[in-house]
Amino acid sequence: MMTSNNGVITKKDLRKMFWRSLPMEFSWHYERQMHMGFEYMMVPALKKIYKDDPEKYKDALKRHLEFFNTSMYFTPFIGGIVMSMEEMNATQEAFDTASISSMKVALMGPLAGIGDSVFFGTIRILAIGVGTSLALQGNILGTLLFLLIFNIPAFAVRYLGAMKGYELGANYLSKIQKSGLMDKFMLAASIVGVMVIGGMTMELVVASTPISIGSGESAVGIQSILDGIMPGMLSLIVMGVYYWLLKKKVNVIVILIATALFGILCAWLGILAA
Amino acid sequence: MITALLLGVVGFIGNCDYALGTSLIKNPIVLGPVVGLIMGDVTKGIEIGAFLELAFIGAQSIGAFVPPNVVVGGVLGTAFAISTGKGAEVAVTLAYPIALLASLLENLFMGVIFPLTGTWADRYAAEGNGRGVSMIHMGDGILASLCFGLIIVLGYVLGSGQVEGLVNSIPTVITDGLTIATGLLPAMGFAMLAQMTLNKKVIPFFFLGFLLSAYFGVPVLGIALLGVIAACLKINFGTEDQLVTDGGDDDDF
Repeated sequence: MMTSNNGVITKKDLRKMFWRSLPMEFSWHYERQMHMGFEYMMVPALKKIYKDDPEKYKDALKRHLEFFNTSMYFTPFIGGIVMSMEEMNATQEAFDTASISSMKVALMGPLAGIGDSVFFGTIRILAIGVGTSLALQGNILGTLLFLLIFNIPAFAVRYLGAMKGYELGANYLSKIQKSGLMDKFMLAASIVGVMVIGGMTMELVVASTPISIGSGESAVGIQSILDGIMPGMLSLIVMGVYYWLLKKKVNVIVILIATALFGILCAWLGILAA
Repeated sequence: MITALLLGVVGFIGNCDYALGTSLIKNPIVLGPVVGLIMGDVTKGIEIGAFLELAFIGAQSIGAFVPPNVVVGGVLGTAFAISTGKGAEVAVTLAYPIALLASLLENLFMGVIFPLTGTWADRYAAEGNGRGVSMIHMGDGILASLCFGLIIVLGYVLGSGQVEGLVNSIPTVITDGLTIATGLLPAMGFAMLAQMTLNKKVIPFFFLGFLLSAYFGVPVLGIALLGVIAACLKINFGTEDQLVTDGGDDDDF
């Protein structure tokens, strides 16, 4: 037995999650990115965990449709941890489900950084180096080696991640729970989580203006003035506007369509740069 | 025509890489030999695939053009190189407008259509219909893959010139506007997350993370590590001295 919180999750469920992690990026989009992929990965396990509690099941489905993005090779690891937390939530009345979201966010930023540099920065480059050196001479082995060099580590990390992530969550988090430190631990997770959201807002939201004041030699770009005050100011404002709109319960579909139209308007007026 | 259809199938499968674990089967070094097989020259397909692979990571310069969509650019680049018998440079130049059309379509999917289908997924989730969410997820990907396959078929049949005319007829205001929108949309994802996780206790840390990135350029991994330290400073993890804490730990400064 690998679990210590009387869970219903078995190795078989974890293997299933591993397989269902493969289409993680199939419906990737700019707004919530891997959210549907993450949900797709989790659905069977969630169904099992909450089979006697349809309300909690609905909440869990909604919860995992929130923004998610990380290195796809680490998604089963995060899925494993999340699964163990969902199990705790199923059995405990007082469990704070916001902590599950915080945990996901706290993990996704760092693992995205590590995953991208290890898999795309290192292993992929190695695979291309070895693969093309043979393939450029018309040798099909180059293609095969390329696929093997990249995918053996990628699949190993995914499979082990699923197993270890769940073990870590089930053993370690339940220990924290028993020692009464869970509230503090979850506050810590949400601190790391919101800091990561802050950093990603700066890094991933792209908004800059091509407007400049004056003409010819003396022209001063508004963007450089804004950057002088606070780099990424526009990104922060955009995020604030969305936050406010969502708080006002404006329909998401309306916001999405308005965003597309707003983009076109800005391109037409030359307010924002493409 | 059959060649065009087969190339379209290769493009479809190539884009389905995203359903198969992003295992890099969409890369030119993998699709090249398959295209070569269809065009009747496997060895040439392998060589050109490898050449394009290097172009895509920037290790090999191909004129001024690296095609914007790796699947469409890779498949048609290889196909044109074999069919015209000219070098990879010429082939990629021919494939470029078609790959550009694909990437415009990609922006439409990822910037408008998929986010909208995401709201359908929300509705299924609220009904407790996990299967519905799964179907939207897979349906999105299959739809996009089909479209890319179709673009390859059309591009191969119509030829580069026709497609170039089509691409040029799309107003740049529309394409630029979509690009701007795709830059803004992640902020909406973060705003949704923030609705779930932000509260009065942690809101300063959101700004701390933002400012660390804005003024100091700390990457996200660094921000997360600093976050762990911030959490340790903010929260007293000791169990023994619990009696003295809660409020007392912030007065050290």
